[in-house]
Amino acid sequence: MIQSFDFSALSDYSDVVRHGVYITLLLITVGAALGLAVSILCVWARLFCPAWVRIAVTSYVEFVRNTPFLIQLFFIFFGLPQLGVSMSEMTAAIVAMAINLGAYGTEIVRAGVQATAKGQWEAATSLGMTRNQAFWRVVLMPALQKMWPTLSSQIVIVMMGSAVVSQIAVQDLTFAANFIQSRTFRAFEIYFVVTAIYIVLAALVRLALRLIGRWVLATGEVP
Amino acid sequence: MTDFTLQQIIYALVLGARWTVLLSLSAFILGGILGLVLMLGTISQRKWVKLPALGFIWLVQATPLLMQLFLIFFGPALFGKDVPAWMAACIALTLWSSAYLAEIWRGSVLAVQKGQTEAALSLAMLRGQALRYVVLPQAVRMALPPTAGFMVQIVKSTALASIVGFTELMKTGNILSNVTLDPFVVYGLVAIVYFCLCYPLSLVSRKMETVFDVTR
Amino acid sequence: MPRSVIKKTIIALSVVAMGAFGASADVLDDISQRGTVRIAVPEDFPPYGAMGIDMKPAGYDVDVANHVAEKLGVEIDLVPVIGSNRIPSLQTDKVDLIISVLGKSPEREAVIDFADAYGVLNNSVFAEKDSGIAGADDLAGKSVSVLRGGIADMLITEAAPETTEIKRYEDENSNTQAFLSGQVDAIATGDIIISALKARSPRRMPEEMFVLNTSPLYVGVKKGETRLAEKVNEIIAEMIADGTLEAISQKWLGRGVPDKM
Repeated sequence: MIQSFDFSALSDYSDVVRHGVYITLLLITVGAALGLAVSILCVWARLFCPAWVRIAVTSYVEFVRNTPFLIQLFFIFFGLPQLGVSMSEMTAAIVAMAINLGAYGTEIVRAGVQATAKGQWEAATSLGMTRNQAFWRVVLMPALQKMWPTLSSQIVIVMMGSAVVSQIAVQDLTFAANFIQSRTFRAFEIYFVVTAIYIVLAALVRLALRLIGRWVLATGEVP
Repeated sequence: MTDFTLQQIIYALVLGARWTVLLSLSAFILGGILGLVLMLGTISQRKWVKLPALGFIWLVQATPLLMQLFLIFFGPALFGKDVPAWMAACIALTLWSSAYLAEIWRGSVLAVQKGQTEAALSLAMLRGQALRYVVLPQAVRMALPPTAGFMVQIVKSTALASIVGFTELMKTGNILSNVTLDPFVVYGLVAIVYFCLCYPLSLVSRKMETVFDVTR
Repeated sequence: MPRSVIKKTIIALSVVAMGAFGASADVLDDISQRGTVRIAVPEDFPPYGAMGIDMKPAGYDVDVANHVAEKLGVEIDLVPVIGSNRIPSLQTDKVDLIISVLGKSPEREAVIDFADAYGVLNNSVFAEKDSGIAGADDLAGKSVSVLRGGIADMLITEAAPETTEIKRYEDENSNTQAFLSGQVDAIATGDIIISALKARSPRRMPEEMFVLNTSPLYVGVKKGETRLAEKVNEIIAEMIADGTLEAISQKWLGRGVPDKM
């Protein structure tokens, strides 16, 4: 039996969808900013911290990169309260995204730093800077610029992955889809429309990241 | 109510992990075949072959895998075709992997093609021959490490199959966590099992990067 | 939404679905032809249906499902489902029947048909002893977890004040997990599931605060499948008459079948 397509039921729920879009964008904005900060800190720690910190950072990066985001999310939200670390579902989602992006970002930024010419470090230190100062003032920016396209792709990947935060009752765009589905039972139409919205959001985020790259990091090129 | 011992939990998780492995392997093999076809499509000279292939890759990469999974799970049923959870997961992961693998392989081929194709053509090789004997052998070496790396992504992505109700590792974890009321231990163990599946692949990928380093 | 995109998708999907168009409209015939009946049972809702150590579902609903299959004279294919997937599974032909703690609501009646009731479930709000929640109004400013699209979701959405944060989870696992791990102040769900939970002495003990409703549990069938529904009704009436249902109820719920069902 062929059911007919019916998109009309969706129009009653435009507020739910709008809220979902807002939450998804909020998550990726905060998550990406924190994730980048984590990445930079981890790269710094690997260069300048004692061995045990470097080992801890490496373990973190490896563990996160080799386990699914969904399990990280469930562990943070359902598992950690058992240790007395309890956070709201929004916080848990943002923390999970930041941790996830942080691990991939660390590898990406590190590659950028490694690619920085040795001469730059030497030039900076010969100007009387410590290596630590050289990292922050001379090496970091070009490294970020160089790796910005890769970082941007990773941020979009994390945003696509964020669809699963609906599983812990975060009211993101996927939650909106599920919610409407359980009220109207028009699964296909809803997932179809929401998928289209994700395409638009991904394009918007990519554009925003390109602009950030051009204005803030002054990459001077179109990634 | 059944009381689970730690051994029983681990045993149940390992049983669940078998499905994760099976799902990963089928997605990789089927996705690899489709990915190869797609990749050849994207480097084709004919627009009507090239554009749909590129379009498909773009579409897959611009939408969440979870949405693709939902659409495949619920979509065909509108036409009276039943897609069980495992099949929906398998189809979605295959399509998804094929797009990413095609993109990885296309990158390698294009990197080698620059200059080398002209060289081969100037030796009176046909385009197909140039691809077959000159470009592909080098591209394969270049593509192996990221391909192994992507297998890690496939294994991790199979966790989403739990959301449409396929009882693989993640779903087994959900069920056990509810029965044992001990999410910290259960989800911790699930994470460790995933790590044991993925980390060796990551290591192989990294090892290959140094062995097959084409910039040597 | 551009019409052409939708059209293309429909065409693409119909290619996928080709060969399925010939399916007969009568599910009862399909079942006897196939020799199996596919029944959706709960996988995370003890004692109605939950996974055991062997990863097979067991419980009140599962026993009822087995009995229905037996009376239909066919093999059973138990399909474990989570709450939010029950109706989509029926609509999209993944199952022939839902016997999965399914209550009636206008939204649901619009999309599927219901055969007779085979059990009863009290939906209540649970919280910690000293939470001071005596009625729906006391939920103001508090968070309460529900199963998305479940009867409790509908009731709470209707009854709770504006300031109540309703957290909607995908499955009963996450729903109870959210309360037990302290992520919400209260939980709205079936009373029996909570008594099963309390027997395992969780760290955070849920106590019944107030009853939302008493919901008969119905067998769900696809819209328009009256022959199948009638057949199921016959079987249920028989089960009530010969004491089978009473025995199943005593076995899993420790109480008899209530009269008001």
